[in-house]
Amino acid sequence: MEDFERQLRNALAPKEPPPSFEANVFAAIAAQRYARRVFWRWAAAIAAMILLATGLGVRHQREVRERASGEAAKARLQLALKITVTQLSRIQQTVQTSTEE
Amino acid sequence: MIAIKTALIAWIALAPLGAQSLKLPASLDRLAAKASEVVDVTMDANLLQLAGRFLSDKDADDAKVKKLVDGLKGIYVRSFEFEKAGEYLDSDVEPIRAQLQAPAWSRIVGVRSVKSGENSEVYIKTENKKIGGLAILVTEPKQLTIVSIEGTIDPDQLSELGGHFGIPKVESDSQHKNSKGGKDE
Repeated sequence: MEDFERQLRNALAPKEPPPSFEANVFAAIAAQRYARRVFWRWAAAIAAMILLATGLGVRHQREVRERASGEAAKARLQLALKITVTQLSRIQQTVQTSTEE
Repeated sequence: MIAIKTALIAWIALAPLGAQSLKLPASLDRLAAKASEVVDVTMDANLLQLAGRFLSDKDADDAKVKKLVDGLKGIYVRSFEFEKAGEYLDSDVEPIRAQLQAPAWSRIVGVRSVKSGENSEVYIKTENKKIGGLAILVTEPKQLTIVSIEGTIDPDQLSELGGHFGIPKVESDSQHKNSKGGKDE
């Protein structure tokens, strides 16, 4: 019984940490901080690239849509002017013909 | 085109100020169902502005159209072609004629052919001694065409478009006389 108590006392007795313990802890914290910093830098860079790509994509799509609308509007304008001038020309020809007669 | 231009200029000098834009009746849309071919162009100021942005200043043809479009507020075209005569009634066209009345509008040309049944009318309205609108109404037994242009229009610019974009070349009076017998005054 006495032997058991002694063993227990020895086991629970406060022990001095080895001299390298503090340095190891600080080194581990620093490594962790560095890894976290590197991770966030990469995350920020990737997020910025995604944002930039999305922005450029949206702008390109808007430009494509605007160009398509513009070209369609131009074609409609040309059709409208073609009909207008054609009709005026026909009326002009009829007037000229009837004047000559 | 010269005769029309002369009539336009003469009318502008005498015409009163103030006018309202032509509204195409919704009943025209009903005709689309009966027509074999339909052209429906509706371009308000915003669309004209958009189209204008895609007309190049460097291209001579585009530049002409751009110059013309700069003063316009809207272009509306309805053209219906039917398989047989009698598909549309005078009552379909009357609401348009009713709007094209003095003092706002003035009919500068009216051509009626009893033989072909074609009836062509050109109306203009003036704003500040300039042409502020142009309306063309052509009724044929199998075809109906209505053109309404709002805004400042220069007839010279319109005639300059002839020969471009598939638009037939507009023959002036002198060219016409030359082609008839080489006489030009």
